[in-house]
Amino acid sequence: MLNTGKAMKVCIYLSDGATRHGVPVYSSILDFLFYRGVAGATVTKGVAGFGADHHMHSASMVEISDRLPIKIEFIETREKIDAILGKLEELAGTGLIEMQETTVLKPAQVSKPKQTVPPTHLKIEGKAQMMRIYVSEEDRWKDKPLYEALVAAMRANDIAGVTVYRGILGYGAHRRVHKDKPLHANHHGSVMLSAVDTEEKLRAFLPLVDQMVAEGLVVFSDVNIVKYAYRALEMEAQS
Amino acid sequence: MKEQFPARMVRIHFGEDDRWHGKPLHEAILAKCMELGIAEAIVFRGIEGYGSGSRIRYSSHWPLAKDAPIQLSIVDTEEQIARLVPFLDAMVENGLVATSSVEVVRYTRSASKVAED
Repeated sequence: MLNTGKAMKVCIYLSDGATRHGVPVYSSILDFLFYRGVAGATVTKGVAGFGADHHMHSASMVEISDRLPIKIEFIETREKIDAILGKLEELAGTGLIEMQETTVLKPAQVSKPKQTVPPTHLKIEGKAQMMRIYVSEEDRWKDKPLYEALVAAMRANDIAGVTVYRGILGYGAHRRVHKDKPLHANHHGSVMLSAVDTEEKLRAFLPLVDQMVAEGLVVFSDVNIVKYAYRALEMEAQS
Repeated sequence: MKEQFPARMVRIHFGEDDRWHGKPLHEAILAKCMELGIAEAIVFRGIEGYGSGSRIRYSSHWPLAKDAPIQLSIVDTEEQIARLVPFLDAMVENGLVATSSVEVVRYTRSASKVAED
């Protein structure tokens, strides 16, 4: 972690066309810096320049425009740079490495608390409930379709997730009145909302469903959740 | 009106091309549900899927393979579902039936109001 105060700034000058094991040199250097936990690095592409070979490289010369100068810049503590410099020299190949003392006035803020081991994905397992709500596609709440209003309401109440399915055929509680007319079986307006969250949260949401759904069916079932999430820790930190 | 009671949910998976006496199977099952007075039945067409027989079923955007996966979801009391099951046994030749215990909340408008619709 880079703090306010003295630090070193390293610049590596390369040619765009330079490759190492078939990969652009700047990209292998950037990967190396990233994996070694360097605070930050920036790659910039020059529009023109010349290097040790004294050939002018310019963007206007199409045939050699892949040889434009590339500059990799990063700021780190002296100790860290000493630790990676050997490998860096090897990676830079024919490129030039320059280093200067600098002063960090304000370190970059990490938006969230740094995780010691950033998980590629996190698996959460546990008991939860699934709430399915069956309504008609034509049902409305205030000025919008009821299913849309329900999704918005669930979102506002931080229900973990909801999906709306449109049925191609179906009938519900209110259609039973017309069951003697077989044509009514063919109405194309059944939708199902499926939401998963903890029992407490879904039960707490039910009074709102009571208000919004005039006709329909709500089905609760116990489910086991196995969740793979990238943002799981962030979500936990918020709740 | 609001009622709350324990119930059973049945989900049946098969293909859109499956038939029962010349009629699409999902229509036939839905008609049977209505006949038995099952509370709720809804048919979903999947975009893609596979089931028994392990063929991948695609939805209609694949013009040559129209056998989209179908899921039928049925909810009613244990007794009502028990009445339906023998029919499912006869009708579903190649498919999957999953049942689970659920709790339902049913909202209904009063009968007079329904008549107005």
